[in-house]
Amino acid sequence: MNNRERALAILNYQDYDRLPVVHFGFWNETLIKWFNEGHLEEEEAKKWTDGNTFDKTISKKLGFDFNWYSCYTSAYGLFPGFKSEIVETLNDGTEKVRNGNGVIVLRKKNAGSIPAEVDHLLKDRESWEKYYLPKLIYSDNRINFEYLNSIKNADNRETPLGLHCGSLFGEIRNWLGLEGSSYLLVDDEDLYDEIINVVGELSYNLVKNILATGAKFDFGHFWEDICFKNGPLVIPSVFDKKVGPHYKRITDLLKANDINIISLDCDGLIDSLIPTWFENGVNTMFPIEVGTWGANIRPWREKYGKELRGVGGMDKKVFAYDYKAIDLEIERLKPLIDLGGYIPCPDHRIAPDAKWENVQYYCEQMHKMFT
Amino acid sequence: MSILEEISTLLQQGRAPKVKELVAQAIEEGISPKEVLEEGLLSGMSIIGEKFKNNEVYVPEVLIAARAMNAGVEILKPYLVSQGIEAKGLVVLGTVKGDLHDIGKNLVKMMMEGKGLKVVDLGVDVSAESFVEAAKEYNADIIACSALLTTTMGEMKEVVEKVKASGLGNSVKVMVGGAPVTQSFCESIGADYYTSDAASASDVALKVCVG
Repeated sequence: MNNRERALAILNYQDYDRLPVVHFGFWNETLIKWFNEGHLEEEEAKKWTDGNTFDKTISKKLGFDFNWYSCYTSAYGLFPGFKSEIVETLNDGTEKVRNGNGVIVLRKKNAGSIPAEVDHLLKDRESWEKYYLPKLIYSDNRINFEYLNSIKNADNRETPLGLHCGSLFGEIRNWLGLEGSSYLLVDDEDLYDEIINVVGELSYNLVKNILATGAKFDFGHFWEDICFKNGPLVIPSVFDKKVGPHYKRITDLLKANDINIISLDCDGLIDSLIPTWFENGVNTMFPIEVGTWGANIRPWREKYGKELRGVGGMDKKVFAYDYKAIDLEIERLKPLIDLGGYIPCPDHRIAPDAKWENVQYYCEQMHKMFT
Repeated sequence: MSILEEISTLLQQGRAPKVKELVAQAIEEGISPKEVLEEGLLSGMSIIGEKFKNNEVYVPEVLIAARAMNAGVEILKPYLVSQGIEAKGLVVLGTVKGDLHDIGKNLVKMMMEGKGLKVVDLGVDVSAESFVEAAKEYNADIIACSALLTTTMGEMKEVVEKVKASGLGNSVKVMVGGAPVTQSFCESIGADYYTSDAASASDVALKVCVG
């Protein structure tokens, strides 16, 4: 069996020879640290992206089989995006930057991770119609047809390839900000609905036209990131009513094209949103962020049955500790793997506190234990 | 339904313009600003806080309720100032150095303000020194630190140590919270309080300030 066959067998509850050891990429700071320590080539550290050549060489050095987050992604968002530009440099060197979403963010020299949002261009109907709506029209230019022609035969593929179906609310939240998206629901519900419907329609048309080429995918994938440690950043009943039907329409289309594994990437405590995702065709939760709230697939499996699968749920924080912590984490994962329909994967990008030798040790042990 | 109950209900529904209008009307009718604040605005926000803690309402509902509260407070402010009505305590709040996440911090701020506390928001990427300086400047009761990342939560220890070194340790309590933070982490760094959510943070902060 190759890694594609193994992964699909596990997620479909079929026999498999061994568990593939997968990851979900790295923070850029992690790769730079590992380059400075002599583990990586400069090109690997600086040119890595999910699923590219460097991703494959880094995976091999660490002992991973592949990066789960390997998808074909069309230009599903704003097209073209806003031009990224520095709008102001503050005295301490902090830059205020307008990013590709039209959002002004703070870029601090000493702080990693996601920049803080300062202001949003999308505020009301006027800014929607002037700046955003024209960037959300379907066009064939959003799709790389040449690439799609090269993936019409999945049988000789070594690792699974997903079709990224976009984000039906997470992107909207990015454009408006958390406060803006919350206020809009009460200030102008018609506009709120219109934005969701425009994004849903665009995503549907992209998936439809991509699948019409005959390109073959092993799973469908969505991205949202609309939860935090205590629950959702949206109102679940509102999400169900307004966004749920768009999920259903797209997942029905995927299933009609023989794509039966449909995953969704959302961090945080996702339990309140699983019902709407699950009822509308999403059946694989990713990356199952363990967090301080202890997320794992078992309670979801008990509640939703075998149709609910998972990829993720390995507490990546142990990479910062020692071999003993890694052994304990693998022990914790064992009974979850036995449930079937589940592939462990670090529960997010591997962070800069991860020690190279710890990640290697994790991969070695996983290969030993689950072969 | 009394006008104060109506203010509380409308605040919970996030109807900011209506809250503003009724607060002005209540003042005109001769209801004391303190009563409007406590039995109208803070009462409404307190109900939202409890519901949020019990997962009966979600973040967007908290945000729109907080906006409605702020709209009402804006009308009340001059009256509160002229009558010398002060906040129940002062909290210096921020996300620790190296961390730019602010959703959790902002929720804590709204909840604390909903309890009648004054919050000085230092923003994100706040150094331990800045927390201590602000606590001295504003004569704070509490320093509240937030972190989202395992790589930045260690900065909270710096804050605790700087507070101790500054001699503020007896008068200022340090509260910590954020996705990777736990009670045991709080104890390990010697912070005074850990809470797992924004509503609990505001409950503890109020207790610290008013006893």
